[in-house]
Amino acid sequence: MKVTVDGSLCTGHGRCYSLAPDVFEPDDEGYSMQRDVPIPVPPGQEELTSRAVHACPEGAITATES
Amino acid sequence: MTEARVTSRDMHTDFDIEDVSLAENFEEVLDDLVAHCPVAHSTVGKGYHVINKHADVRKAGQDWRTFSSADGWLLNPPDQSIPILPEDLDPPYHDTWRRVLNPFFAPGNVAKVEELAHDCARRLLDGFADKGECEFVADFAAHLPGLVLFNSIVPVPEADLPQLFQDIDTYSFGPLDDRVPAFVRVYGYLDAFLKRRSEEDPRGDVIDAIVAGVDKDGEPSPWEDKVHTLLDVVFGGLATTTHAMSGAIYHFATHPEIRRDLIANPDLVANAVEETVRLYPPVVAPARTVRNDVEIGGVQLKAGDRVALNYAAASRDPAACADPAEFDIRRTDIVQSAFGVGVHRCLGAHLARLELRVTIEEFLARIPDFELKPGSAPTYESAQLRTMKNLHLVWTPST
Ligand code: HEM
Ligand code: SF4
Repeated sequence: MKVTVDGSLCTGHGRCYSLAPDVFEPDDEGYSMQRDVPIPVPPGQEELTSRAVHACPEGAITATES
Repeated sequence: MTEARVTSRDMHTDFDIEDVSLAENFEEVLDDLVAHCPVAHSTVGKGYHVINKHADVRKAGQDWRTFSSADGWLLNPPDQSIPILPEDLDPPYHDTWRRVLNPFFAPGNVAKVEELAHDCARRLLDGFADKGECEFVADFAAHLPGLVLFNSIVPVPEADLPQLFQDIDTYSFGPLDDRVPAFVRVYGYLDAFLKRRSEEDPRGDVIDAIVAGVDKDGEPSPWEDKVHTLLDVVFGGLATTTHAMSGAIYHFATHPEIRRDLIANPDLVANAVEETVRLYPPVVAPARTVRNDVEIGGVQLKAGDRVALNYAAASRDPAACADPAEFDIRRTDIVQSAFGVGVHRCLGAHLARLELRVTIEEFLARIPDFELKPGSAPTYESAQLRTMKNLHLVWTPST
């Protein structure tokens, strides 16, 4: 599983890095550090990551298989 | 059990955000709007529409070119209303302010406030924990946000705090006639405070960043924009957080099973914070102006129309969140709009979350068992913002 944060939509709510801190991390302004690049999801983190995808108030995160 | 509506107003075609039926039957009216009225119409003042569904609110919130904030967040502002920045701005000027403000309110910087917040919360609890009763709004929730903010991210000299607190309190909760004069005093104080700081050596805090200002169309931002930015940073975070704290404690007073679950499982407090802001939202529906003709929720809007983004209703939309009326700290599908959507995403969201978490942790640690004072019920002031005015609690003090 991989996830991508759409940099044009992310406004720094921080739901992603709060729910799945092993996948997402904040930058100095509170946005997701990695934007517009696929982030690999470590094994075992899929469920928390899916929650983060749903929880993002901007709908900025998309998940892809493989 | 909810009471019957107190007015016969048809909230679909003749909506009024200031109507008592919304203030008193808040959840019922919001749920009705979400279910039956994607876009409500109002004839109040110059008239406006209210966007209620989660997907539509998200779409409009993210489209600042079509839904502009430049005419202010109030649907029917008084003649000489003072803007608050960056709330009442559109990009690019909005974003240049956000870029200098964001780092001070980002998670890393906010985390440094943790210990202070715990200390302030404990000191407030010391004031009433042994008494077996409190009025939670006046005794706790009205104080904590200011105590934390002005002793950390927005440092105000200790000696100035009592007067500032009193004026802010009068402005936010006092008799209507006293509010404007109190606001004028706060404005004067913040203006003089910024001026004083502009003559002192910089300390690297957010006040310096505001004094330095940003670029506005190739010119330095004017002085009043700096004062209006400080106004937003000060006022944006006080009564709002007060209401959410009161909402959480009210909910636990009336739902003992949830507070027991939280005491047994403290790692669920973060979820409780999200559910609190989802179901007890202080920012109900800020305004925008439509810039280009657009259809939303099946309704055609025209350039110049005023609309409100009903964040409070969107957070209760079953299309986004199953069983939305349930305050469920174990849900895995939390999504809420309480901190806004799009470029105006609440600057203080991370700080507000921290204060709410600390409030829940400290209150339940000190007073694990409590209930509403028999015969009492909270009252609200409710329009585009919502505030719980009082919350009387009783418990058996531990000896
Ligand atoms: C539970 C507490 C809070 C809630 C629910 C809340 C909610 C909101 C919402 C919904 C907005 C967006 C309004 C819009 O879309 O027009 C907003 C903006 C804002 N909030 Fe908060 N807020 C809270 C606490 C705070 C705190 C603690 C601060 C600062 C210390 C703060 C400062 C601001 C500022 C400056 C803005 C304007 C941001 C911009 O326009 O870019 N808020 N808030
Ligand atoms: S939750 Fe969404 S908006 Fe917030 S930081 Fe993560 S990706 Fe960005």
